[in-house]
Amino acid sequence: MQPILVVLVFATLAAFAAPLGVLPLRSRTAVPPAWLGWANALAAGFMLGAAYVIAETALVDHPVRAAAGALLGIGYTHLSHRASGVGDIDLNQLDEVDPSYGYRILFVSGLHGAMEGLAIGLAMLESLPFGILVALAMAVHNVPEAAVLGSVLRSSGLGPVRTAGLAVAANIGQVLLAIVAFAIVPAIPGLLPWAFGFAVGGLTYLAISELLPEAYDRAGPVSIALVTSVATGFVVLLRGIVR
Amino acid sequence: MSTLPAVVQVFLFGLVTALATGLGAIPFAFVRSVSPRIVAYTNALASGLMLGASFGLLAEGADYGRLATLIGANLGVLFVLAAGKLLGDHELQFGAVRGEDARKMTLIVLVMTVHSIAEGVAIGTAFAGGTTLAIVITAAIAVHNIPEGLAISAVLRPRGASIAACAGWSIVSSLPQPLLAAPAFLFVGTFSALLPYGIGFAAGAMVFMVLVELLPEAFEAGRRSTIALLVSVAMVTMVLFQQTL
Repeated sequence: MQPILVVLVFATLAAFAAPLGVLPLRSRTAVPPAWLGWANALAAGFMLGAAYVIAETALVDHPVRAAAGALLGIGYTHLSHRASGVGDIDLNQLDEVDPSYGYRILFVSGLHGAMEGLAIGLAMLESLPFGILVALAMAVHNVPEAAVLGSVLRSSGLGPVRTAGLAVAANIGQVLLAIVAFAIVPAIPGLLPWAFGFAVGGLTYLAISELLPEAYDRAGPVSIALVTSVATGFVVLLRGIVR
Repeated sequence: MSTLPAVVQVFLFGLVTALATGLGAIPFAFVRSVSPRIVAYTNALASGLMLGASFGLLAEGADYGRLATLIGANLGVLFVLAAGKLLGDHELQFGAVRGEDARKMTLIVLVMTVHSIAEGVAIGTAFAGGTTLAIVITAAIAVHNIPEGLAISAVLRPRGASIAACAGWSIVSSLPQPLLAAPAFLFVGTFSALLPYGIGFAAGAMVFMVLVELLPEAFEAGRRSTIALLVSVAMVTMVLFQQTL
């Protein structure tokens, strides 16, 4: 298979894992809060692990350009959160939600998915097997993310099919960015460390601002810290195995 | 200096790097307020610096052996869990501070001290490669210790420690550097085999301290977007600082 097709297939797989998180919500049984917390922590750990591995390649060879790229990634993510008024939004709020909350969640998921797409594309550039692992990690991580999004949208009165559709839609930008990053970044000389840095900064910022705060609220610091560090270590270890 | 035995030189160089850690307390001469919001943001600053330092350690450990580093990191996590639990069982006092704050202050000093053990071993083994680069290595490690003092002071100062106490505890946390640099220099074979475990331990302990103690407390009182900004910018700056110096 052509490398770019590998990117397409696995990034699409990651995006289409999202409706799996919507399925269990057919009955309106509530997800136990601690589980949501652990799912968030798992997602945060996967993101931090991917950020670490991408940083390992870029920062050691081109520390200044990668760090400048990282600051750009942080600044971009911070400003897009602040400017759109979602900087302090609680992503796992399940009761007393109004429809506008649902759409703001959708917007945040889109932003978040874009950064993940960039990570998948760049990880594929590192090596295809490692990229596939990152895509699978993001697929796993999209499931609980969509579960939250889904239960919010469902409770604001949306049908199951539309909810599943929106969950995919929120992640579809991921596929595009993965392919664009994979195709364009190596074609522009000198762009690589900037792009790697950008993804590292963005992923770190998102893990800290979106995933960890709610996780702590729902399951307490010790179990969250354990799940997060094990998930991070898992990605770092896999990188060692899949060269 | 050249008349001194090599092992004494290694010890003295290690001592200089430890003293440099105390410089990290200086910016906190201007922090007096103990509002929960200040604690949240200094926690975020310390978190970013510690995550950045762990990045450098993990990247270095991977050169010696990825699996050994990861095993070490797991031991570091267990260490922080156990130390946090044990400290919580006792009625602690840190200077004039008591209770939960004293527990957190003791834990940060403990974690940063333990992490210096691996750095001391790294200094000693680096010197065993030849003392010609001694000054360069010492200067690099001394400079890289300053933000570590900053991280310690960021936790101690807003909880009521004096500026002298911040500098003092920062230096204490780096004392394992001279103390372990000397034996590592003498028995380089034994120590270099243990180095990846030690590096992993240091990184694991710092990352876990951030996740289990510093960030949860920060989120209770600070805006999450500001915390994320501080953590990620401090982390990138620390990595850049350590990779280029």
